[in-house]
Amino acid sequence: MRRVAVSGIGVVSPLGNSTAEVLANARAGRSGIRRLDIAFAKRLSAPIAGTAQFDEEAHFEASKARMLDRFSMFALFAANQAIEGSHGALADVDRSRAGVFVGTGMGGTLTMDSGYRTLYGDDSDRIKPFTILMGMHSAAAAWIGIEHALRGPNLTYSTACSSSAVAIGEAWMRVASGQLDVAIAGGAEAPLSPGSLKAWEALHTVATMDADDPSASCRPFSKNRSGMVLGEGAAMLVIEPWDRATARGASILGEVIGYGHSNDAAHITRPSVEGQAAAMSSALQSARIDPSEVDAINAHGTGTQANDCTETAAVKAVFGDRAHQIPISATKAMHGHLLGAAGALECMLSLLAMRHSVLLPTAHLQQPDPDCDLDYVPNQAREGAAARTMLSNSFAFGGTNAVLVLRGSS
Amino acid sequence: MTSTFERLSAILAKDYKLSPDRLTLDAPLEGLGIDSLGTVELLWNIEDAFKIKLPSDPVDLPTLGDVVRFVDELVLRQAADSAPAAGASPELRAT
Repeated sequence: MRRVAVSGIGVVSPLGNSTAEVLANARAGRSGIRRLDIAFAKRLSAPIAGTAQFDEEAHFEASKARMLDRFSMFALFAANQAIEGSHGALADVDRSRAGVFVGTGMGGTLTMDSGYRTLYGDDSDRIKPFTILMGMHSAAAAWIGIEHALRGPNLTYSTACSSSAVAIGEAWMRVASGQLDVAIAGGAEAPLSPGSLKAWEALHTVATMDADDPSASCRPFSKNRSGMVLGEGAAMLVIEPWDRATARGASILGEVIGYGHSNDAAHITRPSVEGQAAAMSSALQSARIDPSEVDAINAHGTGTQANDCTETAAVKAVFGDRAHQIPISATKAMHGHLLGAAGALECMLSLLAMRHSVLLPTAHLQQPDPDCDLDYVPNQAREGAAARTMLSNSFAFGGTNAVLVLRGSS
Repeated sequence: MTSTFERLSAILAKDYKLSPDRLTLDAPLEGLGIDSLGTVELLWNIEDAFKIKLPSDPVDLPTLGDVVRFVDELVLRQAADSAPAAGASPELRAT
């Protein structure tokens, strides 16, 4: 297996649209969860979300924008930023050995929602001709491939909330094994359509709005948690063999050193301690490291009762007594749950945290929960913390668990 | 009265952000960045703006002038067709 470096990172998120901005906000514990500023908000019991401040018209020409759903715009913007930051990862690459791996849970759901509104809401048959092209889950990956002439595998993964961790893991395997020389890997999600917001509400997993401070509505691992908050955005990585990146003089932002995957095969929503633990153990095995080498974890940490308690138990199952010594960050408290893009954003945050020697806080952890008794880095970042190896956990409805093992670069 | 060409140009300027000096009758659509897929969408916009119903068969319209002629013909034909039998066709009403 070849050593694999991350040589570029791009991002659109509720915490900002550049790595510097995202890190600064995450470090300060500033939440990107806001009151939703759309007409439909009045029909939501909790009109809040992690929204990206993203000016579509400023970033895309009209002729192109009319063919792109917001999730594809996010993906393209993040991919372009990552590629630019890699200082030439695509310059001399054999295009047939360059791939794109994108995770998304809901694809072009805004486009589909708008089509349904025309059809059912307006009782009109005038569905826009590009609805299929914009709505399909594979559109984001396809556009990245088109824009950069990447002719290798162009793959889209949809495993709900673990989609982009899966995408990065699968891309890592291909680069590590020598099948590919470069991969653009990550996830994109723009799930804030009326239909999607209402459907999530109907499932009773979303948080109630904190009336005093809407930005503090998502409270992972806190006794007074009330659920998850949806978020939108994208994060993309350029991953390539270490030797190739260093030979070019690229700045290395970190490494992917392992990837584990498991399926609960149990319940469509209820997570399983065994399944989550199996994914973490398999990730450690693939990285060929001992559990004692894990310095910190970015938790899946959604802020639902079911996740937080199960994840805590799964960490204990894998790490035993040492679980209490491992700092765990649940950054969703600040950016919300980006569903299919969550794993990529959290992978990116983990790499940045290690590079800048900080442990990111679990914001809004107001009340300790006896069932969640690990070190969640409550409310304040820990500066000067020298984590070298981190796990980034991503679990999902459907029971598809994915865990990335990441190494920092100073 | 505004000509078909002027109305078409207005759509292209507004929705496609095309500069009016590029919009001439002999301008090829491809040259304006509107390929065969783009033409499908342009015709969809036209359908609404000119209150016409497009045939489902594909059409080949290389230049703006071809689009103008195509629209004019449809407007004329459909105005004539709808004159004796006003209102939506029965199959559109059936749900």
